Amino acid sequence: MGGKSGIVTNEVGVKRFDLQKLLTAASLVLLLVFFMTYGYFARGLDIASFSVNILESAYYIGFLAIGVTFIIITGGIDLSLGTVMMCGALVGGTAFNTWHLPMVVSLILILVTTTLFGLLNGFLVARLKLPPFIATLGTMMIAQGFGATIANVQTQRFPTMADEGGWFKQVFLRTQDGVPVGIIWFLVLFVIAFFLLNKTRFGKYTFAIGSNAEAARLSGINTQRWLFLIYMVSGIFIGFAGILYAATFTTVIPMGGAGLELQGIAAVVIGGTSLSGGSGSLSGTIIGVFIMATLKVGLMAVGIPQQLQTLLIGVVVVLAVMMDIYRQNSANRIKS
Amino acid sequence: MKKNMKMKYLILSALLIVALTFTMVACGGGASEEPAAEEPAATEEEPAAEPEATEPEPAAEAAVDNSALNIPVIAKGFQHQFWQVVKQGAEDAAAELGVGQMEFNGPGSESEINVQVDMINAALAQNPNAICLAALDTDAVKGQLDEAVGKDIPIIGFDSGVPDAPEGSIKATASTDNENAAALAAEEMMNDAAFKAAIEGATADNPVTVAVLSQDATSTSIIGRTKGYLDKFKELVEAIFPGGVAITGHDMYAAPASDAAVVNVFVQVPPTPDAADMKNGAQAVLSEKNLVGVFLSNEGAVTGFLNATNDGADLGDGKTYADLIVAGFDAGATQKKAVRDGLFLGAVTQDPYQIGYQAVALAVAAANGEPVQDVDTGAKWYTSANMDDPDIAQLIYD
Repeated sequence: MGGKSGIVTNEVGVKRFDLQKLLTAASLVLLLVFFMTYGYFARGLDIASFSVNILESAYYIGFLAIGVTFIIITGGIDLSLGTVMMCGALVGGTAFNTWHLPMVVSLILILVTTTLFGLLNGFLVARLKLPPFIATLGTMMIAQGFGATIANVQTQRFPTMADEGGWFKQVFLRTQDGVPVGIIWFLVLFVIAFFLLNKTRFGKYTFAIGSNAEAARLSGINTQRWLFLIYMVSGIFIGFAGILYAATFTTVIPMGGAGLELQGIAAVVIGGTSLSGGSGSLSGTIIGVFIMATLKVGLMAVGIPQQLQTLLIGVVVVLAVMMDIYRQNSANRIKS
Repeated sequence: MKKNMKMKYLILSALLIVALTFTMVACGGGASEEPAAEEPAATEEEPAAEPEATEPEPAAEAAVDNSALNIPVIAKGFQHQFWQVVKQGAEDAAAELGVGQMEFNGPGSESEINVQVDMINAALAQNPNAICLAALDTDAVKGQLDEAVGKDIPIIGFDSGVPDAPEGSIKATASTDNENAAALAAEEMMNDAAFKAAIEGATADNPVTVAVLSQDATSTSIIGRTKGYLDKFKELVEAIFPGGVAITGHDMYAAPASDAAVVNVFVQVPPTPDAADMKNGAQAVLSEKNLVGVFLSNEGAVTGFLNATNDGADLGDGKTYADLIVAGFDAGATQKKAVRDGLFLGAVTQDPYQIGYQAVALAVAAANGEPVQDVDTGAKWYTSANMDDPDIAQLIYD
């Protein structure tokens, strides 16, 4: 019975989901068009730099969101995204500034740090069976304190483009001539993530664990091991978010980063991935990321103060969650 | 990239036409923005009523039509009342000069460097005529400063401005000249009859001491204040006793009297700015012989001094230090109370209203291609008598 109804739910879910994705994509286009036209005619907005601004706001939220999409599909959550990203960036900055390591090594240390935190989350959730919410709430604070400790509570400044070591900005963010090369990394990592989720056993098991972890385990999947891996993969993506954050904002403050996880999670939710697990998509997440980035940059560009921006983005998140619940309810109705 | 952009433009222009109706609706709301900015500022705080008149008066040439100008102002934050007053000044300047569009923005807190960077990016994307900026972190905005130079958008610093900005990226800065501001305290102390009498009553055999308590000898603002006070005070006293002022204490400032010392100025810089060290430093100051006056160069010094005087109670009538003349700097809640209760003679405050006003005025001048130079936004002296006057009250933020 469990299997059968599960399939029905899935099919209904998929159909509804596509409609929702269409709607979210349409609203993204609408938002872009609105901000660009209004900005262009009413405020003399430079469309080219506006677009680049959106891209650059999308990078780090995007990597956070891509990583956490896997986790959310398993029915889990990761609250440590933001502070782990900052922790990685702080470790990288300290490595470069205080330990005088080359930039390459510093960047690798960012990835290593966030991956280790991914492993820690995986260990707590998969092995010790802690609820993901509680486990990652803990690592959120651990990462915040750890990063600040490593950095000796000093603000870490990455080199600017012209400085020694500033090449990493030209590789990851934009070249001296302003070509936004970050988009390449974004696309490449998105394609890798897409492949992982949709074409591999890793992805199949991610969905399976989210739909029904017990059923997955009974059908012979080593759920513990895969869950562990999923959190680790998410950690790697957080590392890239950290690199892009450092490239975009140069200065990383200790004890920061709390609150950024919610931007990543919000993007995933807007993209239609269900917080109850078992369904979701990376293409939806990307649309969600760009909706978030467009709102952030667009509202700023038309002169809405920050507090109202936050308010409006909050409203969008609530609407997205309402859609998610509505979808589930109607799916349940059909099931019964 | 240019080619890509052209492609984008083509696709976008198609989209633009589709969305035109949408925009028309939105513009109905947008057009109503203007009257708000035009609203004449019926304010008591007449900017011209400044005693030390600031050198350039860009407002004088208001004949120029500035209605096409777009000048975003990006502050460090909003949560301190200080910034609200800066904003008021900026808005009044924009209204008086007829600036078409002046938006005052800033991150929610002073740790949100990333938000400020996003704001500067958003401002640059509008191709504004000038930008006013109080940067949270210079390194974080270097790329944006370069971009502004490349796009020929003048950037005007305000408040602390953009410290250590690359040469030529900041056209001018509207900020408090700390030396002038602290000199104001020296003048006001000498204007006090009791203090002046105490100074004049001093002899080479029985010299009096005036102390300066400073939190550190490293930050530019504190050094400026200490130096500004010492120079002015020495100048005023030496008019009475030529060559009779000896500066002792911290090596950076020490200078022996050229004649027999009649007035000693003791500069106390505690080893660290920690509250405990500041308190000990203040206690050392209080044990100086024939101490008649104290200048406290910032909030930290004020706090240390109050801690050392039983929260200021020892300065009250009939108490140990009842006759001591004390001048402060800044305007925290405890300091304002000490001024209000008459424990302090008064204190110097920066003028955030002028900071905002002059920043926009400089930006307008720079946008019109006029040469601009740094402006001292001045400082005000407040006492228990004038601290409730509207133009002073708005400056003494917590």
